[in-house]
Amino acid sequence: MKENDAIISWKIAGVALGLLLTLATFLVKPLGVSTQFVVTDAIAVHAVAPAAAESNTYLAKYGVKDEWSIGYGWMLVAGMFAGGLITSRLLRAKQPEADKGSMPPMWAAVFGGSRKKRFVSAFFGGVLLLFGARLAGGCTSGHMISGMSQLALSSFVFGVFTFGAAILAAHILYRKRG
Amino acid sequence: MNTLLIGFLIGGVFGAILYMGGATSYRRILGTLLLKDMWIIKLMCTAIGVGTLGIYLLDLGGLANLSIKPAYLGGVALGGVIFGIGWAVSGYCPGTCVVGAAEGKFDAIFTLVGGLVGALIFAFMFPTLEAWLIQPFNFGAVTIQELIGINAVYLAVPFSLLLLSMAFLILKDRYE
Repeated sequence: MKENDAIISWKIAGVALGLLLTLATFLVKPLGVSTQFVVTDAIAVHAVAPAAAESNTYLAKYGVKDEWSIGYGWMLVAGMFAGGLITSRLLRAKQPEADKGSMPPMWAAVFGGSRKKRFVSAFFGGVLLLFGARLAGGCTSGHMISGMSQLALSSFVFGVFTFGAAILAAHILYRKRG
Repeated sequence: MNTLLIGFLIGGVFGAILYMGGATSYRRILGTLLLKDMWIIKLMCTAIGVGTLGIYLLDLGGLANLSIKPAYLGGVALGGVIFGIGWAVSGYCPGTCVVGAAEGKFDAIFTLVGGLVGALIFAFMFPTLEAWLIQPFNFGAVTIQELIGINAVYLAVPFSLLLLSMAFLILKDRYE
């Protein structure tokens, strides 16, 4: 695989992300994503079943006002969607073929071309991702990229256990194909 | 400038970098986890290497708005394990599934919806989990330099250089 096998190289993307993190930490606070899944849930539960939201100690504090609702963090995630939408519309022609579409060729080669199987796995993967991230207090952006850059103990613990489990799980999933 | 607008603009650049840098690519994520394609890990090492230096310098000037997460070892470790399995199964993390969904990838949309469900399950289990995994072994929002009692410069500079040399010199793709 060649170095230029994405629209920009990992070098440019990595340096840009490090500088963006520094800018965010200067202007407001570091980058983070996973909390906003709870904020979104809390806004929805407050709207449909306010009693249930208030009786839950975790949901009660989210989704109501200021930074705990649609604040800097939620707008950041909304911005990520917008940034992905605009760049993917403008630059689709430059994206490698293997990275397009909803059925990764690497997955299909081992697990078959069933869309249902891929989407069910993606769904349950998502359940585990956010359950784990909320239990740990952050995800790849908040814990690993922002947390390690601040030399936080918790983020190093998270990084070790996340990579350990993910590497093991990937090897189990792809054990027959080496 | 308005904080909400700043958040939206920073997020916009973040999403653009993830898309253009191939971070929403399933083969890149799984390639990294199978220790064959080092693209994603090199990207992350570079970002953290630059970020560590940038945040250290900001903090030196008293300009950093830090956000250190508390180190409750049980919850962070178990959460990391569950997160890692979800990462390998879906091929996304919470940020890249948002960008993948914006690209129109249906698997990313399923991961995003699964994530909303997973976060809701966590919210309803929170009282039990808090007692067992969040309150015990909680060392608080501590940094490594505070833990071992040295000046941050002796950690930030070597750590940053280590990550940058891993990205640029040490890590190599392996294909048989």
